[in-house]
Amino acid sequence: MKYLLKSSLVAAAALAVAGTGALAQETVTLGAAVSLTGKYTTDGEHTKRGYDLAVDMINKAGGVKVGDKTYQIAVKYYDDESTPATGAALAERLIAQDGVKFLLGPYSSGLTKAIAPVTEKYGVPMVEANGASRSLFTSGYKYLFAVLSTSEQYLSSAMDLAAEKAAALGKKPEEIKVALAFENDPFSQDVRAGVLDDAKRLGMQIVIDDQLPKELNDMAATLTKVRALKPDVLVISGHAKGAATAVRQISEMKVDVPIVAMTHCDSADVVAKFGAAAEYTLCASQWASTLTYKDNLFGSAADFAKLFNTTYNYEPPYQAAESAAAVMVFADAFQRAGTLDPAKVRDALAATDMQTFYGNVKFDETGKNIAKPMVLFQVLKGEYRVVAPTKWAETEAVVPRPMMGN
Amino acid sequence: MKLGNYDMDKRLAGYAAIIVIGLAAPWLFPGYKAQMTELWLFIVFALAWDHTGGQMGYNSFGNVVFMGVGMYVCALTQVGLFYSIADYTAARGGGTIFIFDVPDFLLGLALGLPAAAIAAAVVAAVLGSAVLGMRGQYFAICTLGLGIAAGEIAAGWEWIGAGSGMTTPNPPDGLGDINRFLYFLSAALAVATFLTLRWIYTTRLALAINAVRDDEDKAEAMGLPTTRIKVMAWTVSAIFLGMAGGLYGNLKKFIDPVDIAFSGATVGVWMVLMAILGGKGTLWGPVIGAVIFQITKEFFWTYLLGWQRVALGLLIVVIVVFFPQGIMGWVRARYPERFGHRVEPAAGAKGEGARP
Repeated sequence: MKYLLKSSLVAAAALAVAGTGALAQETVTLGAAVSLTGKYTTDGEHTKRGYDLAVDMINKAGGVKVGDKTYQIAVKYYDDESTPATGAALAERLIAQDGVKFLLGPYSSGLTKAIAPVTEKYGVPMVEANGASRSLFTSGYKYLFAVLSTSEQYLSSAMDLAAEKAAALGKKPEEIKVALAFENDPFSQDVRAGVLDDAKRLGMQIVIDDQLPKELNDMAATLTKVRALKPDVLVISGHAKGAATAVRQISEMKVDVPIVAMTHCDSADVVAKFGAAAEYTLCASQWASTLTYKDNLFGSAADFAKLFNTTYNYEPPYQAAESAAAVMVFADAFQRAGTLDPAKVRDALAATDMQTFYGNVKFDETGKNIAKPMVLFQVLKGEYRVVAPTKWAETEAVVPRPMMGN
Repeated sequence: MKLGNYDMDKRLAGYAAIIVIGLAAPWLFPGYKAQMTELWLFIVFALAWDHTGGQMGYNSFGNVVFMGVGMYVCALTQVGLFYSIADYTAARGGGTIFIFDVPDFLLGLALGLPAAAIAAAVVAAVLGSAVLGMRGQYFAICTLGLGIAAGEIAAGWEWIGAGSGMTTPNPPDGLGDINRFLYFLSAALAVATFLTLRWIYTTRLALAINAVRDDEDKAEAMGLPTTRIKVMAWTVSAIFLGMAGGLYGNLKKFIDPVDIAFSGATVGVWMVLMAILGGKGTLWGPVIGAVIFQITKEFFWTYLLGWQRVALGLLIVVIVVFFPQGIMGWVRARYPERFGHRVEPAAGAKGEGARP
């Protein structure tokens, strides 16, 4: 916090100097392979916009001061087509051919898993904002840093909520039946592992454990089972496309489940797309614009949301927020390292301890952020309202959700 | 085919040049080591595919099965020697950090690659006995299905990571430049594949394989055990594909079941293309095809980004339309005498009469 303040003062001073002296500034280029086509297009776009907005703000504030030079930040993008093989090839290209020394993460754990070995091989630090699977952090990577909370935390509070509200459903927690539908990718499978652990801890029964199809556009088979077996909780995770499919088909098929929880509803923009059909859905989120975090670049979480909205004309999903935070973490590490030597920047990254509008960032030795909790939204009257954890809850969750009627 | 001393010298000089360039390449183009490693492996893929596709006339779109099996078996050996695989591949992470030191890594590869070869060979022998009774397009479609099925099985098998895929062991720092290490391993494998096939093509087995291609019924009528020959040929291909797969997995470092291991839509098609581009049924054809293909592919990815898939598609059309016999076939039609075909002046004037 203190050095952030200091560095922004320095940056302001640098800006003043640049203004009078009209110095040609040098540029430090970050590389990024993001999904601009393929099944993760929506989230890939949020990621890119988050990066762009933060880069823009930092450059407008005068750039990054590294040692006695000031640098503008630029990002070199490639489209990874939402496939790991392409992502890894592009990371290789960014580093070996384009000479990029720092990478921002791609979208999704799968892509991050494919790219992390490449950055590790070349000793290129990567700050990623969209790879949450715990399986990313078991290879002893030294150059991988993740600003987000890991996957198992996504729906933990939704499961706790189900246990708390068991009485409202007329049941004991151990009588609660849970249905799962997850995409077969590293992120969703880790969310699933977390939910399975929660179910075990709370003594709930799993009655359905399905995989979403590869293209994520039809889950009617699972929903037919749900209708037959009548679970109390339906948990879904399949990135933005999975969330959109789930909300659409649950309402089309009029599947009544007291608690429906999923990931990625805000990035899928289910409220705008499906209106009333999205009502009462519980959504896991890394961030909310109502949280009380602050920094000197964007201001508060709400300020970031406002700026994002005026720039891109929609409310920022957390993917955009965490992506913006990744750029800030890099800028902060550059300043503290005082050099653009990748190994020194890596050490500076490892020592990161800062607050951004998105939350606190502090990495453990495996590179994951351990300083920031998840929040749980519920869609209530067309708005995402925080219902858990208690510290930030704006309102009480509505459980069970009203029946749609068959 | 008899060569004069002069031809022999020229040929040796050619081999020597290739070896020198191959050895120096990592230092000549340091930024392209990964792509050049991939090229050596592509050469293995193309050569191995051509062994059955070109020499035997059995067009397989399912050779990725052997590559994928090799990739998984090699990686599983590398990991399984030191850690519990279920922990390593668990979606939740194993709770521990998996570190491989230099001896671990080398031992893993030393045992993993042969294991990959054996596993792929076994799979080829078993699958081959089942599907090599089919001919022509039936065989081609069937192998296409095998590739897809293998991907789905791998994507559903939790022990090997299911859809979350599997990372190969993170190479230890003590190994030095891992890209250079893999480059030389891959180059050695490609040379070994080339020499083995070159030797096979001088044996009676090659004659039998060609007989199957030219007229299977006649070959059978003459007493050749065609099914056994076909299975044997496919198994030989699988051995090389399996080892190349093991190295390819370590090069890519992340094994996605559908996108990398059993990638029928990319590598599975590419290996066919490379062989066709260079010239089916020739020894050098797949090698030349792989080189041209890899260079063009990287060129497209660099300069036509966003259009690379379209450009690649157009390339395929151009290959099939203008070089149906591949580059070697085209050259052979032009300069038949260079291939040891005796050309009668009258017939050879227009480069005809040199049908392979």
